[in-house]
Amino acid sequence: MPHRCVNCGREYRTNECEILKGCRECGGKKFIFVPLVERSVEEEPAPSEEPVQRVQKEVKPPEEKLPPGYEPLESIRIVSPGTYELNIEKMANSDERVVGVGKGEGSYLVDLLSMVRPKKKKNKK
Amino acid sequence: MNILVQTKRRLSKFLMAFFKKKKARIGIYGPPNAGKTTLANRIAKDWTGEDVGLVSEIPHETRRAVRKTDISITGSNGSNITIDIVDTPGVTTKIDYKDFLEYGMDKETAVIRAREATEGVAEAMHWLREDINGVMYMLDATEDPFMQVNIMMIGIIESRKLPVIIVANKIDLPDASPQRIRSAFPQHPVVPISCLEGKNIEDLYEKMVEHFG
Repeated sequence: MPHRCVNCGREYRTNECEILKGCRECGGKKFIFVPLVERSVEEEPAPSEEPVQRVQKEVKPPEEKLPPGYEPLESIRIVSPGTYELNIEKMANSDERVVGVGKGEGSYLVDLLSMVRPKKKKNKK
Repeated sequence: MNILVQTKRRLSKFLMAFFKKKKARIGIYGPPNAGKTTLANRIAKDWTGEDVGLVSEIPHETRRAVRKTDISITGSNGSNITIDIVDTPGVTTKIDYKDFLEYGMDKETAVIRAREATEGVAEAMHWLREDINGVMYMLDATEDPFMQVNIMMIGIIESRKLPVIIVANKIDLPDASPQRIRSAFPQHPVVPISCLEGKNIEDLYEKMVEHFG
């Protein structure tokens, strides 16, 4: 955390012990604490910008890229009661059959027998 | 009339059993409000004199797959097919009860409708997997055919090697563009019709006999 001399405006890094002896420029012994946000909007010399840039990089949201081969598990996602997102491809390819969507949030009924039922043979009706 | 129809059905069943001819089950698929039930009703009315289901301007009116069996369609050259028509709920990737509120529905009814519509889509996909031999994919010719759900569904139908006819409905409306549908799916036959007015419906029957026969 930087400190600024109130007389001449010279800045010192947090861990510099010099400020205990006084300002190198004017010998002043009053220093003001400068928060990072305030510093970022002021024109400052290059070395003092480094910590700000680092902080800004840290607060970037993580990228939400799905890994390759990712497939959503659910064929029906209940966003809220009465709002549903349907995964048509998953429905077309999976063997389970949803027979009813429950009244509660996030609940639905699946016909378990449809998952274990053997596939029909082509020539057999 | 009834005796004639009954005799025709018995004879048809006997001949099918004798020649072991398998009856095709044709599913009418497509996004909500494309006119699937109107088409199913028209086919059933034209060839059996009966209706299949109710139609409405509110999306997801059909929430259960409805089957009309033993529809015998004859083409202009005399060739004939007997099919079961399965009218399915509109397929979509998102169902939100709020969409129904603008039609004057109360929240509770809208939530129930959304839940039933979701179950309906699951059922439609189940039948596509298990029981359907051919598909009529219904599109509203006034809408953009390049919707994700259409591309996905046509891809699924193709991967299952099912014969498909794309029906470009609502050509009676001024904004209709069947050509846009043709350019979107050039690999499949596209038949422009107006289910409501019956325009070009004979062309569709010809194509059905040719394609599903």
